[in-house]
Parts: sequence; structure tokens; C-alpha cells
Amino acid sequence: MQIPFRVVFEQRGETPRRLSLLVPLASVFAALFFGALFLIATGHSPIDTYSNMFQDGFASFNGITDTLALSTVLICTGISAAFAFQMNLYNIGGEGQLYLGLIGGAWAGIALGDHLPTLLMVPVVLLCGALAGAAWIFVPAFVRSRLGTSEIVSTLLLTYVGASLIKHVIYTPGSFFRNPNTSFPQGRLVADSASLDSFGSSRLYPTFFVALVIAGALYWVVKRTEFGYRINVIADSPRAAHYAGIHANRTTMWVMLISGALSGLAGAMLIVGPYGKIEPSIITLGYGYAGIVVAALARNNLGLIIVSGILFSGLRVGGNNLQVTTDTPIHIGVMLQGAILLFALGGEAFRRYHIHVVRVQDVSTKKVAA
Amino acid sequence: MNENIWVLMSGDAIAIATTLILAALGALFTERSGVLNLGIEGILLTSAISSFLAADASGSVWLGLIVGSLIGALLASIHAVLSVVFRANQIVAGLALVIFGTGLANFLGKPAEGKTVSTVIKPISFGPLSDIPVIGPIVFGQDIITYLAIALAIVASRYLFNTRSGLELRATGDDPATVDAQGLSVARIRIRYTMIGGALVGLGGSWLMLAQSAGWHQAATTNGLGWIALALVVFAGWRPMRIIFGAVLFGFTLQLPFTLQAEQITFIPSAFLEMLPYLATLIALIALSRPGSRNLLGAPRALGTPFVRDER
Repeated sequence: MQIPFRVVFEQRGETPRRLSLLVPLASVFAALFFGALFLIATGHSPIDTYSNMFQDGFASFNGITDTLALSTVLICTGISAAFAFQMNLYNIGGEGQLYLGLIGGAWAGIALGDHLPTLLMVPVVLLCGALAGAAWIFVPAFVRSRLGTSEIVSTLLLTYVGASLIKHVIYTPGSFFRNPNTSFPQGRLVADSASLDSFGSSRLYPTFFVALVIAGALYWVVKRTEFGYRINVIADSPRAAHYAGIHANRTTMWVMLISGALSGLAGAMLIVGPYGKIEPSIITLGYGYAGIVVAALARNNLGLIIVSGILFSGLRVGGNNLQVTTDTPIHIGVMLQGAILLFALGGEAFRRYHIHVVRVQDVSTKKVAA
Repeated sequence: MNENIWVLMSGDAIAIATTLILAALGALFTERSGVLNLGIEGILLTSAISSFLAADASGSVWLGLIVGSLIGALLASIHAVLSVVFRANQIVAGLALVIFGTGLANFLGKPAEGKTVSTVIKPISFGPLSDIPVIGPIVFGQDIITYLAIALAIVASRYLFNTRSGLELRATGDDPATVDAQGLSVARIRIRYTMIGGALVGLGGSWLMLAQSAGWHQAATTNGLGWIALALVVFAGWRPMRIIFGAVLFGFTLQLPFTLQAEQITFIPSAFLEMLPYLATLIALIALSRPGSRNLLGAPRALGTPFVRDER
């Protein structure tokens, strides 16, 4: 059977500005509409659900401060993903590197805690978390740059190893990271000098500003430094980079290590901020995976990640509270994350191509003309 | 040491390999057409809960398996449309499918949490054959889907290398421009095999639910099997027969912790045993990659790249 119409994709020379804004917005609305269909089908009210989500995510003091608090973590995991993705290095194991950041940060906070003042201690904890995250990606980075082993699968596999490690250090009796004073297995608290106070009655910690500064600093590195220039050349054309004498291997290694360090940093921020100890429930929260969505929504633009990180956190916070305020399952939030990303990917085509439907006959005449 | 437990373990290793064989075959068909679908884990999870709900409501495991496979094909079609029609980044699209599938599965699974399915797939009884020591429980103690999975791998190998459609499939993954010049639709072939692949993954997820776990434990139901299946395809060099071998091997590493625990062998920390399948996969993956070995290993040359006729 012959279909009389055909969809033609015409590459755009330049993307109209309005589409750059319109497409992401339209994808969010399309995903919300899709989610609404699901909610109706399962007997929930989409209007109540969404207004509750908005109320709890953005439009209340606790809502917006919780959103900003969560965005602290998601901005870090987001730039971790985007920084590697922009060079076509798909570090999707940010989740595992975040676990190691938690372990590294907790180690510093427990072992060095009594010897240093807070002003020095907090940066040390953050640094140790970042180093642990970088260490966790070292093997994938090394084999990717030397042997070309797919970093997609290797970083992901290590996430499962990291999850076992978290459980191990908390559930093993007598473990360094386990609270010795409780029979119920939980993390040992870090020293007071290693934890920060939140702002007023909120759950927002000063680490939020650290995340903003780091996002800004990396944006500057990519746009203004020689290292950033090398990343852009390799991303555009590995062959051109090779002829220009750029060592792709070394840059690959560094970009992946920095990406791992950023996810590790996100974990350490949870130590100095809300947790103060290793919280084994971290392995169910998926903050590392959410970073991939945040990065993809911002199209790996390090500046836009702050915006997408905050929007996305609001969705999460609002979604989490649904369980409390209504009987809607909490997972609608995660489902919407995936749906938004899927719609954004589909929408991307409208940004890059001029899509129009033509009759099959028109296509054949066009071809002759060309 | 008790001999029986090792026999039992071998039987279980082959059983757990069933999901891996089906999921890896699904990924293999998809990748052979040139589409990289990283969403396997999400498809496994969603088809698992769908089959649970369908089997539980209808009382028929067969309906559960069918629904699970259809859901697998449906989810894969999202990926197919995004990658083939919209030319989206296939890596990100696959990841989006994992996130979407995980959320969807947990959303659908809310009423099933902590419950066990009312009807399960039972092993086939071969009468006296099943009572033969050692061989009996390993070879004749499996259920129909396990035998089907192995048969499918053999058929897939014949199909891929000895039929015209198989040649077209391989050509689409290696050199889509030639297939296009032959007057075949690259887009249609890719969408078709991505969906067939999704159905196979869906069957694997349904089987995992209805024969192995028989209860819904959120993401722990699949626990990364989808990612191991993706690594398995690389391990097998995109060849169906080698998938059987690899899947059984990984089945052993997945089963080992339980066996050692049952045997009260505790000098190896259980956390390390838990890590073992993932570490083994990682080591296999690294060992198989040497510079320039991508073609030798048989990766489809156009894997992950959209086909655009007019672009030169």
C-alpha cells in the first residue's frame, strides 16, 4: 500500500530564537498532558494532582526552599552529566559516583572532624567527596581513553557495585561508617565542624551557592579557556582535533574525571548539608539519574542547567508530597521526568529541522529539480 | 560439601539466564538494524509489572506473557519513532526510556506492592527423565520459556546468517545507504526490528516476573539485568549463539551468592558477592576491547547513527 503523504525533514540553517524557548516549554506541557491522561485512566484527578504539585514545589515557603535545596544536588549531578555529554562521553554512572561522594565525604567528616575548624573542614569534606567520585570513574575513564571501552555500560555497572558498597558500610557490624551506639543499622554522624546550618527554618543549605558558583566556573572554563576550546574541537570533529595535535585521550580522561568529581561533590554536599551521615536510602532516590534528565533538558548548556535543575527539583518535591496530600502514587513524578525528556527529544527535531508534510508526487518532482 | 546444592545452582543459573538470553536477543536484533536502545532495563521492568497485573487479573500466565511482550514492543516503538523518525540522540532517548519505564512500572505496581502473583509458570515434567541425577534437574527441570529462549537463540542465528531477511537486517545496521539503494526502506526495517526486539525483552521481563520472582519488588525486580543484557551483546560479538553461553556464565555469577550463603561459606563478604555479576561483566567488557577491535568483534558499523539519505 502506498501512503499518499510523506514527511520531509529539511535541515534548518539557523534555529529561530522563539523555537529555542517554545520547544522545551511545549514538551513540558505535552508531558503533563500525557500524565493527565494516565491520571484520569487510573482514577486520579489531574487538576488536583498538578495544583498540589505546583503548590508544594514552588508556591509555598517550604516548597520553594525544599526545591532549591534539592536543586543543589541536581545542579551538581546535572553539570556532571552535561560536562561529559558535550564531548560525547556518556557518563551515566553519576549515581554511583554520588554514592562514593557520600562515602568519601563521610570518611573525612568522621576521621578529621575534631582536628579542623568548620571553615576548613567543610571544603575538605567536599574535596574528599569529589575525589572519591573521581576515583570511582577512574577505571571507566582509563579504559575508555586507552581501549575505547564503552563508558556507557562500564559507568552504569559500577553504580550497582557502588550501591552494594553503601549497603556494606552501613549494614556490616563494626563498620567505620556505622553508628556504634544504635542497634538499628544507620550511619555514624560526622563531627559538628563538618556540618553546616541551614538557613532559618528552611532546609536550604549554603551549599546551594557553591553549586551555582561551580556551574558558573565550569561555564567559563568551557567558553573561555584553552581546555574548553579543546573539548569543543574534539566534540565537533575528533579528526580535526587529531590533526590539530590535540591529545584526545588525555582530554577524555580529564573530562571524565571532572564529571565523576562533580557527582561525588553532590554526594558530599548531602553530608555537610541535610544528612550528616551516610543515609542508605540514597540508593533509592536516583539523584544521579535525574542529573542526566536535567542535563538533557538544558541541552548540555551549563548555564541553562541551573534553570532546568530548579524546575526539575520543583517537580520532584511537588511529586514527593503527593503521597502525603493525596493518594496519588509518588512515582508519577519519576514517570513525568521520563515523559518530559522523551517529548523534549521529539521536540528537538522541530528545532533542528523544518518539518512539513507533502504529497508523494511533490517529493518526486522536487528530486528531479534537485 | 553437599553435591545437590551445586546441581540445584546450575539449574537455577540456566533458569536465570532465560531473562538474559531473551533481553540480549532483543537488544541484538535492535542493534543489528543500527538502532541502539539503552532502554532495556525500563522495558524489562514495565513488562514485568504488566505481566504481573495481567496474569493476576486473568489467572492465566500465558496472557501475562503476551501482555508483557506487547508492552515491550509498545515501549520500544517510542524509542524507534524518536530515533528513526525524529533522529533524536539514541543514547539520551534510551536513558529517557529507562527513567520513564521505571516511573511507569512503579506507578502501575503500586497496588501490587508486596503481593505475590496468583499463578506462576511451572517447570515441565519429563517424567523419569527429570529424576536422572545431576542431568535431570539441570536439563529436564526447566520451564517452557527457558527452552523457548534457547530455541529462539538458535533460530535467530539461522535467521540472521542464512536468510535473505537476515541479510537485509545485517545490511541495515552495517551499511544503510546500500539497503536504501536496493529500494528497501531503512526506516521501516529499523522500526520493525526495534519493536521485535522490544517484544523479546518484554517476554524476558514477563518470564522473570511469572517464573522467578513471583512478587513485585519495584526496581529490585530486575536489579540491573537489562544493563547486563546490553553488555552481554557486546560480549557475544552480536552473535546469537554466543549469547546462550554468555548468559549461562552470568547466570552463574548471579546465582553464586545464594548458593554460598546456603552452604554457609561466609569468608567472602556477601556485599562482594552481590557486586560479582557487575564486576564480572565489567571485566569481560574491558578484556574484549582492544584498540580498533570494534569491527573485529562485529559491532554493526552504523550502530547509533540515524540514516539520512540527502546528507552527504
